[in-house]
Amino acid sequence: MQLPHAQAAVLQTASADEAQPVDALARATDLPVETVTGAVFELEEQGLVAVTERVEESIELTEEGAAYAADDLPEVTLYRAALAAGADDDPVSMGQVIGSSGLEGPQVDIALSNYARKGYGAIDSGEITADPDADPDSDSEATALETLAAEGDGDAADATDVDDDTLDQLERRGLLERSESTVREATLTDEGVTALMEGVEESQTVGQVTPELLTSGEWEDVEFSEYNVEADAEQVEGGKVHILRQTANRVKDVLVGMGFQEMEGPHADADFWINDCLFMPQDHPARTHWDRFALEDPTHIDDLPTDLVERVERAHREGVGDDGEGYHSPWDEDFARALALRGHTTSLSARYLSGTEIGELEPPQRYFSVEKVYRNDTLDPTHLLEFFQIEGWVMADDLSVRDLMGTFEEFYAQFGITDIEFKPHYNPYTEPSFELFGTHPTTGELVEIGNSGLFREEMLEPLGVECDVMAWGLALERLLMLMYGFEDIRDIHGTLCDLELLRETEVTY
Amino acid sequence: MPTVDIAPDELRDLTGHDEKSDDELIEDLFALGLEYEGETEDGEFELEFAPDRLDRLSVEGVARSLRYQYGDARGVYVPKTNSPDWTITVDESVPDERPYVTGAVVRDVNLDEDALDSLIQLQEKLHATMGRKRAKGAIGIHDMTMLKGSPATEGNPSVRYTGVEPDEDRFVPLDSDAELTPGEVLEEHATGEKYADLVRGNDRYPAIYDDLGLFSFPPVINGRRTEVSTDSRDLFVELTGTDQWTIDKMCVIICYALSARGGTVEEVTVEYPDGRSDGRDLVRPTLETKTKTVSHDRVETILGIDFDPEEVVDLAERAGLDAETGENEDGDLVYEMTIPPYRVDVLHPMDVIDDLGRAYGFNELEPRYPDVGTVGGRHERTRLEDAARTQLVGLGFEDLLNFHMINEAENFSRMGLASDDDAFGAGDPTTIKEPYSEDYTMLRTWVLPSLVMVLENNTHRAYPQDLAEIGFAARVDSENEENTETGVDESRHVAAALASHDAAYEDAKARLQAIVRNFGGELETPATEHPTFIDGRTAAVVIDGEEVGVIGEVHPKVLVEHDLEVPVAAFEFDLEALA
Repeated sequence: MQLPHAQAAVLQTASADEAQPVDALARATDLPVETVTGAVFELEEQGLVAVTERVEESIELTEEGAAYAADDLPEVTLYRAALAAGADDDPVSMGQVIGSSGLEGPQVDIALSNYARKGYGAIDSGEITADPDADPDSDSEATALETLAAEGDGDAADATDVDDDTLDQLERRGLLERSESTVREATLTDEGVTALMEGVEESQTVGQVTPELLTSGEWEDVEFSEYNVEADAEQVEGGKVHILRQTANRVKDVLVGMGFQEMEGPHADADFWINDCLFMPQDHPARTHWDRFALEDPTHIDDLPTDLVERVERAHREGVGDDGEGYHSPWDEDFARALALRGHTTSLSARYLSGTEIGELEPPQRYFSVEKVYRNDTLDPTHLLEFFQIEGWVMADDLSVRDLMGTFEEFYAQFGITDIEFKPHYNPYTEPSFELFGTHPTTGELVEIGNSGLFREEMLEPLGVECDVMAWGLALERLLMLMYGFEDIRDIHGTLCDLELLRETEVTY
Repeated sequence: MPTVDIAPDELRDLTGHDEKSDDELIEDLFALGLEYEGETEDGEFELEFAPDRLDRLSVEGVARSLRYQYGDARGVYVPKTNSPDWTITVDESVPDERPYVTGAVVRDVNLDEDALDSLIQLQEKLHATMGRKRAKGAIGIHDMTMLKGSPATEGNPSVRYTGVEPDEDRFVPLDSDAELTPGEVLEEHATGEKYADLVRGNDRYPAIYDDLGLFSFPPVINGRRTEVSTDSRDLFVELTGTDQWTIDKMCVIICYALSARGGTVEEVTVEYPDGRSDGRDLVRPTLETKTKTVSHDRVETILGIDFDPEEVVDLAERAGLDAETGENEDGDLVYEMTIPPYRVDVLHPMDVIDDLGRAYGFNELEPRYPDVGTVGGRHERTRLEDAARTQLVGLGFEDLLNFHMINEAENFSRMGLASDDDAFGAGDPTTIKEPYSEDYTMLRTWVLPSLVMVLENNTHRAYPQDLAEIGFAARVDSENEENTETGVDESRHVAAALASHDAAYEDAKARLQAIVRNFGGELETPATEHPTFIDGRTAAVVIDGEEVGVIGEVHPKVLVEHDLEVPVAAFEFDLEALA
C-alpha cells in the first residue's frame, strides 16, 4: 500500500509488541513531534496502529530542593551544629548553635520549623537540645532529595522508591514540583503488521501546486497529497466594524428607508440650544450641574441669534398663545450662553427647526440623528457617561398621537420589537408625552424603549415652526442590549473594551 | 425619578373604595401615570411620579385623582374659604434674597398619625420639586394654639415676617432643647447645617415673629414652640421664597390636602410694605380657577379621532375640569375649560388636550402610519466616515469605539506630548468644569491615545492587534482661527495602530497609502519630529499638499509607559482630508 512519507515512516518504526511514545517515534523517524502525532492519528483512523493515552506525572526539584540535595537540609545542618556544640548532653543556647551552623536568613526558620518535627531534638526557651539517637543519614526527606537529584528530571515511575508521604511533604516545603502530561503511545495492530508484510511504499505526492508544475505539464502525472480538510486552520483576525456602529448603521438604514434625513451638529453646545430652546426652565432640576457636563474652557458661546433669544425668553416668561402662561423662573441670557456637552441630541433638532442649520424648513419633513450624548450619571453596566441617542422627528400639518404611535410601531417592528405600549408621561418640551414600552424579543419582558411626544408650542413658536412636530429619543445601547443580549456595555464601548469579545461578536444585518 | 409613599389603606379610606385590592389599586395608579416601584418597610406603596402633577405628592391628592378616574367625582372642586382674621405683615428689613411670603390658616383638621405623616411627606416633596430644595419656596406649618398674635390693624391678630442679624435673637428650633441664634442653628443643628447654604452670606436672615418672639426661621427650620402634633387642630401655614406665584401654588396644594382631612381653609392677609409687591395687601390662599380656550378642531387633530362636543365635556369633567362650549371669533367650536388652582402644570391649551386624551385612554387609540411623503438620506459627513471605515476594515483593522472624554495624562503626558507642543494632537483641551471622575476631565484632542489605551488593556490578547477608530476629537479654538460657532473646534480623525512583534513604519505607511489612494488623494510623507514617535521614523501626513496628520513608529518610552512589549506603528489624520 502507498502511504505519505510520515505515515510510512511511523508504521515502519512502530512495533506490535511494545507501545512506543510519540516522542520516541519522532526521534527514531527524525520527524517533528507534531508531524508524527498527526501521522499516528491518521494511521489509527485507518486501523493500522492502536493509540493509547495515559497521564504521566513528572517530578522536578525546585532550585531550593536541588541545593539541599547537594548540601544538607537546613534542619540537618542545625542538628550537626547542635551535636558539635554538645547539645546531646545539655541544652545549649540557640544563638550559639545557629551562629556556628552557618545558617542564614529564611533558612534559620526552615531549620527550626522542621527540627523538632523530625525528632532531631527539642527547642525550648531559646535553648536547643539534640537527640543523640537521631540519624541524619536516614532522614527520609534528605534521601528522597538525593534520589531524585541523581535521576535528574525523573519520571514518577523512577521515583517509586520514594514514598508518597515524603513526596507530599517535600512538595509542601516547595522543594519539588509535580506536573502531569499526556503521553500517547502507538502499537501496531494486526492490520498494521499485515500491511507491513505486504509492503508499504511512500506515495509520490505533491504538496503544492507550483508554477513549474503547471507550465511543465507535470501536474497531469502527479498525485496531490491529501490534507486533513477537517482540521481547524490557524485563527485569522480580519477587521470588523464595531458592533455598536453596525447597530447604529442598521438604525440609520431603517430611518432613511422611512424617509428621514440625517442631522449633524456640535457636541459641545450652548445651553440655549440644549435646554432653553426646548422650553426647559433655567431652574429645572435637570439643569443643575450634577446632571450635566458644563465646560470650564471655553465657558460661553459668543453669539446667539438675537431675535431667537428674544422669542425664547418671551416664551419662558409669558408662554405662547392667547391664554398661554410662562414659567415663574428666572431667565438670563448669560446662563443660556453657557457651554456644555450636549445631554441629548434634541439640541440638533432645535438647531434644524430654528432654520439656522439648513434654512427654513417647510412641512413635511423627517429628520434623525444617531449621535453621542453626555450625561453626568453613575457609571454602571447599563449606563455610560457617553452613549448614542437615536433622535427623530416628523414635521407636518395636523399630526396626531395616532401618527406618532404608527411611526414607532413601524420603526420598532424592524428590530423585532412588537406590541408597543404607550404610557402617558411628562416631559417639559413635549405634550402629550409618552414613554414607550416594548416586548423583549427573546424574554418576552416589557421594557422601556424610549420617550416621545409632540413638541410643545412654547418650543416651536419661538423657533418659527407653525405646524406640528412629533419627536422621540432612545438610547442606541438600549436597543443593542435588547436585540443582542449584552450585559455589560463597558465590554464593548470605551478603552476598557475586550478585543477578544469584539473579535468574537457576531455581525448583525 | 422621584417617588412618593402612599399607604393603600389610606387610599381606600379617602376614595371610599374599601373593596379595592392592592393589585387593583396598583393597576389604577399606573393608569394615572404613577408607577408602582415596590413597598416600603411599613407596607406603603412606593410610587414613581412624573414631576408635573405636583398635586399628587400625597395620598390626599392621589385619592382625589382616583375619584375622578372612578367617576365618583366630576368637574372642578374648590374648597370653601373663610375670610381672613390673621395678617402677615412684612417688614422693610426682610432680606432681599427672600422677599416673598404667603400663608393660610386651616382649622379643625383631623390629624391622626397617618395624616401627619402624609403632611410631612407632602411638605418634603414640595420642597424638593417646586421649592427647588427650599431655595425657591419653603413651607412652615405651625400649631395655632401656640401662636399669640398682637393686633396689627383693626384688632386682627398678626405675625411679622422680618429679617434678623445672624446672632440677634434666640429660639428653640425643632429637635433641640437649646436656645440658639439663627447663626448657631446653621453651625450646630443637623437641619441647620443641611440648609445653611441657602442663607449663609446674607446680612440678615429671614425670621417670623409673633408676640412671644421668633417662631420660624425660614427656609431652615421652625421653632419648637409651635410644633405640629396629632393633637393639633388649627394650623398656621406660612411659605417664604423668591417667587410669589410659586409659594402661592405650593400653599394651594397644602390647603387642598388639609381640606381633604376635614380642615376649613381660612384666608390670611399679607401686608407688604410700600414699594414691595406694589404695596398692595394680598389675600391668600388664592383658590381661584383659571380658564383655557381649547378648540374642538385641535382636540380632534391631536387625538386623531372625531368627537361630539358632549363627549369632550364629559372627558373634561372626568379629568377634574369644567368645560363650556362656545365659539371663537371665526365661529368655530371652542371649549372654555376651567382649571382648578392646584393644577400648576397647565400652561397651554395643549395641556388640557393631554388631560382629555388621558381620560379617553391613549392606548384606546388605533396607531396609524402618517400619510406624509418625505425623502430620506444620510448626512455627507457620516457617509464619508462610513466609507473610510470600510477601507480600514478591509485592510484588516478592528474598528473601535472609544469615549470622547479622557484626561490630561492619557491624552498628553503618557503619549510624551504636551498641550503646547507644535505637533499633531497638541492643542488647548476642552475641559469639563465638574468631571464625573479624574479619568474624564476633557475632550480628547486626538484619537491615538485611546487606541494605545486599548492596547494597554489587552496585552493578554492575541497579536497582531491592528486597531483603528474614526472618531471625534476637539480642541479649544482660542483665537477663533477655525471660525467655530461654539469656540470648540470639533473634528473627526482617522487613527490606526498596528501592534505586533514586527510592526514597523512601512506597515503603517502601506495601509495609509492604500486608504489615501482609494479616495483619490495624493499622499506625501515628509520627515518630521513628533514627541510620541521615534525620531527618524516619523513623517507628516500630507494629503493633496496639506499637512493633516502624523505617521510613525511609537516611541519606546510611550510603549513602556503603557506596559507594551511589542512595537507599534501608527498614523492619524483629519478625516476631512479624504473628502
